[in-house]
Amino acid sequence: MTAMAEQPKATIRGLPTLKVTSPEQIPDAGLELEADVVVIGSGAAGAVTAYELSRSGAKVLILEAGPHIPSSEFQEHAPTALETLYEDHGNQVNTTGDLAILQGKCVGGSTVVNAAACFRVPNQVLDNWAEEHGLENLSPEALRPYFERVERNLSVHQNEPHEVNYNGRLLIEGARKVGIPASPISRNIKDCALTGHCISGCKTDRKQSMLVTYLPWASELGATILCGTRAETFEVRGRRVTAVHAVATDTTGKTKPVRVRAGLVVVAAGAVQTPLLFQRNQLGNSSGQVGLNFACHPSLAVFGEHEKDIYAWVGATLSAQAGDVENPLKGGYLLEAGMVGPVITSAWIDGGLGSDFVEFMENSKRFQAAVILIHDHNVGSVYLDGDRKRIEYDLDDRDFESMREALRGTARIYFAAGARRVYLPTTRRTTIESEDQVDSVIDGLQNGTHMYRITSYHPQGTMRMGADPARSVVGPNGLCHDLDNVYVPDASLFPSSLLVNPQITVYTLASYISDQILARA
Amino acid sequence: MQYKLYRRTFAKLGVLTGASLLLVPACSSDSAAPGEPVVLTADERELLERFADVFLPTDGTSLKPRSEVPVVENIEHAFSLMDNPTREQVRIGLKLFNYGSVLIGLHFARFIHLSAETQLNYIRRWENGIEIQRGISTVLKKLVCYGYWKDIEAGRAIGYQGPVSEVGGIASLGNAPMPKAGSG
Repeated sequence: MTAMAEQPKATIRGLPTLKVTSPEQIPDAGLELEADVVVIGSGAAGAVTAYELSRSGAKVLILEAGPHIPSSEFQEHAPTALETLYEDHGNQVNTTGDLAILQGKCVGGSTVVNAAACFRVPNQVLDNWAEEHGLENLSPEALRPYFERVERNLSVHQNEPHEVNYNGRLLIEGARKVGIPASPISRNIKDCALTGHCISGCKTDRKQSMLVTYLPWASELGATILCGTRAETFEVRGRRVTAVHAVATDTTGKTKPVRVRAGLVVVAAGAVQTPLLFQRNQLGNSSGQVGLNFACHPSLAVFGEHEKDIYAWVGATLSAQAGDVENPLKGGYLLEAGMVGPVITSAWIDGGLGSDFVEFMENSKRFQAAVILIHDHNVGSVYLDGDRKRIEYDLDDRDFESMREALRGTARIYFAAGARRVYLPTTRRTTIESEDQVDSVIDGLQNGTHMYRITSYHPQGTMRMGADPARSVVGPNGLCHDLDNVYVPDASLFPSSLLVNPQITVYTLASYISDQILARA
Repeated sequence: MQYKLYRRTFAKLGVLTGASLLLVPACSSDSAAPGEPVVLTADERELLERFADVFLPTDGTSLKPRSEVPVVENIEHAFSLMDNPTREQVRIGLKLFNYGSVLIGLHFARFIHLSAETQLNYIRRWENGIEIQRGISTVLKKLVCYGYWKDIEAGRAIGYQGPVSEVGGIASLGNAPMPKAGSG
């Protein structure tokens, strides 16, 4: 296997190298492989688990359905990134069709295309997990060393003053004027070049994604990574999965079978693909909960038009935050100052028609911009309809109320910061022209399908973790209740949504579960 | 019942943050797999062109002239990235929009044959219509935006910097060093 692995085109002397085997390098007859551990998915959870288990001396093999695209090939062009680095080429949506669900589909997963925001899960959420789901083991105290470890490994730090652009300063200034907590945001980035292209992949390897950290580290320790290779079926004996069957598809469309026998299986394909894999294999679902409890942090963007040029897309993609993030269960919301290029700008907000729309885009350099995150309820589900995946999720009325309050807070912040007009994320142009219109406009908004331009960046739930096998799929140590050698460490195990960006929590739980695996070995 | 039918039929009309939608060869079943080139029909091309005329009129503005941007070709490429059922649903949506004007508002003509003012009013009617109308009008707007703003120079015309690392000579930091023993 090692001899077939792609050699990186360029490496920096002395640094770990990432070796990835592509489908083109796999013989037409396919491969029969053996490993101590097979990890399905190379994103946040899969990469961390692969590294931690490799570090203990285990022979680890990673199956990644997406392509390996080295950072040197990133284009800093959102449309190209959507087409090449994202699930369904950026077209993954709910069944209603009014919610975009963005996930990375490449070696490194969503960590390659996220905006690098780092938060620990709020204590209020962990307390709820303990009370409602029997997860007393996941206390803030127990998780602290794991958080500290991943934050250290990934260079997590609060943005320095030079990393907070004008757009971020306006959010902080406006929020403080109306009494809402605000600060620079924390990110996993090293010597940020402030290109503003995080969501298209960091071309110069400053963002500490899995592509430049845990995956090359695991590779350096001997882990094997197969890209373009989708895990499809399991061989099962009793309560154990003994082998994983996958299909490698090369760039010409030719498919090649891959079979991996392993003593341990880690499914880390994310909150959409992980439950689908279990459903396809009719496995691990004695609770009936596989695929249920989907949540996604439905996110809306809001723009505030100022007299002066702001160029919100210049600098760190996310620079500052506002909101009461410690109180997600009591209506707390999170605002993150950020904006991307015109494709995303015109997708986030309806600027009107004709001359109104042209003026909207001409003025976009004067927009203050932020995205809203809320703690949504787990009302969705993921399932197979024949061979097609379905993601059922409509904004719940309870969550719409949270969204409404977040919109109200955002509008007040913008006017306090000096905006002369606020644009709301409805599917027809809606503006607030002055501060005294805020309540009347916001109160007039109603929940409904195809009413808002909503995007999810954080799918979660669907493989709920809990102490009770009748109400959950995965136990407190990450092991599936119904199986003796299958673990799930990704965001699908969250019993409820976090409110905050989940990447640090996923890294942390994957580290914790890795320790649980090693303790049980 | 009707509501549920709409929801199912137009299951993936959403289109997203950018890439999306598209279309199929006329009078034939759409067999193109994702990634294979798809050719828009003449009707579909004309609908997109006429919609763009009134939605995004660049003449006399600071925007890059739309005639210099391959908007429809970019949309065609986006369609080729969709799976077959989604593409089929979008095609139906475009037809509904184009032919809906025959009855809706009693214009007795397809959208592409309406006057510019009537076209704008028709779009507004869909923006304020039932769920399926809101969804289809949003898809059309997103398609045209995607097709136009995909052009890097179109972005630069409004002050967006576009790609910067190569032109700025920003060096790669490479992979991160392995964590030190005991700390990782």
